[in-house]
Amino acid sequence: MNPIAQALATKDVLVCVGSGGVGKTTVAATLALRSAVEGKGSLVCTIDPAKRLANALGLEALGNAEMPIPEKAFEAAGLKPKSTMRAMMLDMKRSWDELIEKRSPPDKRDKILNNRFYQAMSTALAGSQEYIAMEKLWELRTQRDYPLIVLDTPPTAHALDFLDAPNRILDFLDNEAAKWLLTPALAAGKVGLKLFSFGSSYVAKTISRFTGTETLQELAGFMLAISGLNEGFKERALQTRALLAAKTTGFVLVTGPMPDRMDEAVYFHTLLKQNHLDVAALVVNRVHQAVPQAQWAAAARLPDPLKQKMEATLQEAEQLAAADARGIERLREQCPGTPLIIVPRFERDVHDLKALWETSQYLFG
Amino acid sequence: MSALAHQRLLIVTGKGGVGKTTVSAALALGSARRGLRTLVCEVNTKERVTTLLGRPEVGPEIGSLEENLWSVDVRPTEALREYALMILKYESIYNAVFGNRLVGYFLRFIPSIQEIVMLGKILFHLREKRPDGSWRFDRIVIDAPATGHAITFLSVPQVVLDTVPPGPLATDATWMRDLLIDPKTTGSVLVSLPEDLPVNETLELHAALTAKIKIATAAVVLNGFIAPRFTDAERAGLPPELAEVARVHELRAHLSAEAETKLRTLPAPLTRVPRIYQAHFARAAIEAIAATLAPLLDGGRP
Ligand SMILES: Nc1ncnc2c1ncn2[C@@H]1O[C@H](COP(=O)(O)OP(=O)(O)OP(=O)(O)O)[C@@H](O)[C@H]1O
Ligand SMILES: Nc1ncnc2c1ncn2[C@@H]1O[C@H](COP(=O)(O)OP(=O)(O)OP(=O)(O)O)[C@@H](O)[C@H]1O
Ligand SMILES: [Mg+2]
Ligand SMILES: [Mg+2]
Repeated sequence: MNPIAQALATKDVLVCVGSGGVGKTTVAATLALRSAVEGKGSLVCTIDPAKRLANALGLEALGNAEMPIPEKAFEAAGLKPKSTMRAMMLDMKRSWDELIEKRSPPDKRDKILNNRFYQAMSTALAGSQEYIAMEKLWELRTQRDYPLIVLDTPPTAHALDFLDAPNRILDFLDNEAAKWLLTPALAAGKVGLKLFSFGSSYVAKTISRFTGTETLQELAGFMLAISGLNEGFKERALQTRALLAAKTTGFVLVTGPMPDRMDEAVYFHTLLKQNHLDVAALVVNRVHQAVPQAQWAAAARLPDPLKQKMEATLQEAEQLAAADARGIERLREQCPGTPLIIVPRFERDVHDLKALWETSQYLFG
Repeated sequence: MSALAHQRLLIVTGKGGVGKTTVSAALALGSARRGLRTLVCEVNTKERVTTLLGRPEVGPEIGSLEENLWSVDVRPTEALREYALMILKYESIYNAVFGNRLVGYFLRFIPSIQEIVMLGKILFHLREKRPDGSWRFDRIVIDAPATGHAITFLSVPQVVLDTVPPGPLATDATWMRDLLIDPKTTGSVLVSLPEDLPVNETLELHAALTAKIKIATAAVVLNGFIAPRFTDAERAGLPPELAEVARVHELRAHLSAEAETKLRTLPAPLTRVPRIYQAHFARAAIEAIAATLAPLLDGGRP
């Protein structure tokens, strides 16, 4: 059985990971579409989808809402889904705010939402988007009952970021060393203490030379306001970890055929394996196809200068295909045991249901 | 006046995979050839510029590649250390403080500390002088991160100014921001590809950089350009299996032309860099691209 078809049959969470621009969002949407068409209802949680794909999925500025794909979009693509497909766009800032609104005691809520550290964390802190994607996954898994959830992931600069993000954020929110440093302020239960009453802390003083003293005070304020939430954060992070490692969760690792992308894919693959996560398949997307022999033969029969032009064109195609084939061979050697799936490079972007459906023909063999 | 002859700092950015590193290497090589002492900076990534130029890797310390050309892979840990040492002066204090278990934490908690020290290192070198008073580097080329990360990276001085109250860090963030937004010093080079998504992203990136961060767009590079090859008459005479090949080629050429039209709406000159077909994309390709980009660099000095 095709490994992707098998994953679709046996998993209830699929996570698409890979380097920037390789086709994660495209593959995620394709998986959700195929699933719904075949009768397993699905939700795809996309992150920054290309605008035209978002439009095709009916996602104009709807942000975090889970929207069913309109009937007529399927009709236009000549598809009759047996079940419902829903799609959403993860809005990072809004998801963070919703999380705080839902989880924090009323008297702390505004203090947190207005704190500069919270604002930096929810919009700019590295790993923040990855963290909120994990939180969202947990919420969707535990509070809704989609037979299949497909999670898209943000384009991380480093493969490690995605897996490491929850730890980084948790550490940010609940760090033993920081607690020790900020203890006097935390114990006093109010912000506005002079930094130097932080007592013994030579370290605090030195750090304040970089940041100014107010920064540490404001941080103390943030830690204090958010401290009641930490247990919940930790609890859910553990559960999300367990969810990712569950038998019913699969990762689809997407890559492009260029050497640099492939190196990253190999690295990513190693990390996933080290973390005991199940890689359902490695998708090599946008692969250039080899030139069929018949085309060379036909070109040889052309008159000059058309012959030269055609042969130059075929030669170029051959170059690209040969380079891709070499890369794929190397990838196969370096990721033994993981099925490889090749998706050719299409002439145009994949931005409607019809094109997604065509993509699925390759993914599913 | 050529578009990139006068700025000392060139920031090369664009969507992931469009050719930022390639164009950075070519611009740096071209600048060095014109007698400018040039430093090319990669930012916390796997070092590629040196390999592309056929040289051994240099790592996080500035290394010389050839006459007038230096390279460095700027990494957060090393950049933070350099920065801290500059302020703390003494290694022993650095070790006492930054060897502490808190460091790991503060690396994360001060918003954008990694970005600020990396950008800070690059801009520090931009201000650095030699004993005779001339610049240590006449030009610095940054192979900046891809779109979203680039915006985060380049906004970081402003973010720090908005987050961190007055103090040494805020003082540094101020001069850094001022250098970035000075169009006489700094220009961005937006790299794009002849495909819908990269082109649209280039237009958005231009808007974000100019309106939000106030970095001027100095040049646009349309990389991987494909020129038309077959006339309609030629195509009409082809057997079906080759007609398809010609159609695809002309479609790509058409996409290139379409991309060019869209990108020409930007208020900066556009240069086409043809798609190069070589088994190994290396020094020869960079030389060819540097030649294509030459008009951007000719006719002036910073
Ligand atoms: N096989 C293919 N052939 C041609 N174009 C493709 C193919 N797969 C994806 N694309 C196009 O490539 C572009 C990038 O794809 P996509 O947005 O899915 O990548 P991504 O990995 O999610 O990117 P990011 O890391 O920026 O989120 C899109 O315009 C998409 O339509
Ligand atoms: N003009 C060109 N013709 C053919 N191939 C090219 C051209 N320019 C770049 N490439 C190839 O495209 C790929 C991406 O180029 P490059 O690494 O410079 O992009 P980048 O924007 O720096 O990518 P990243 O976002 O991953 O840093 C490389 O494999 C490179 O060899
Ligand atoms: Mg995406
Ligand atoms: Mg690069």
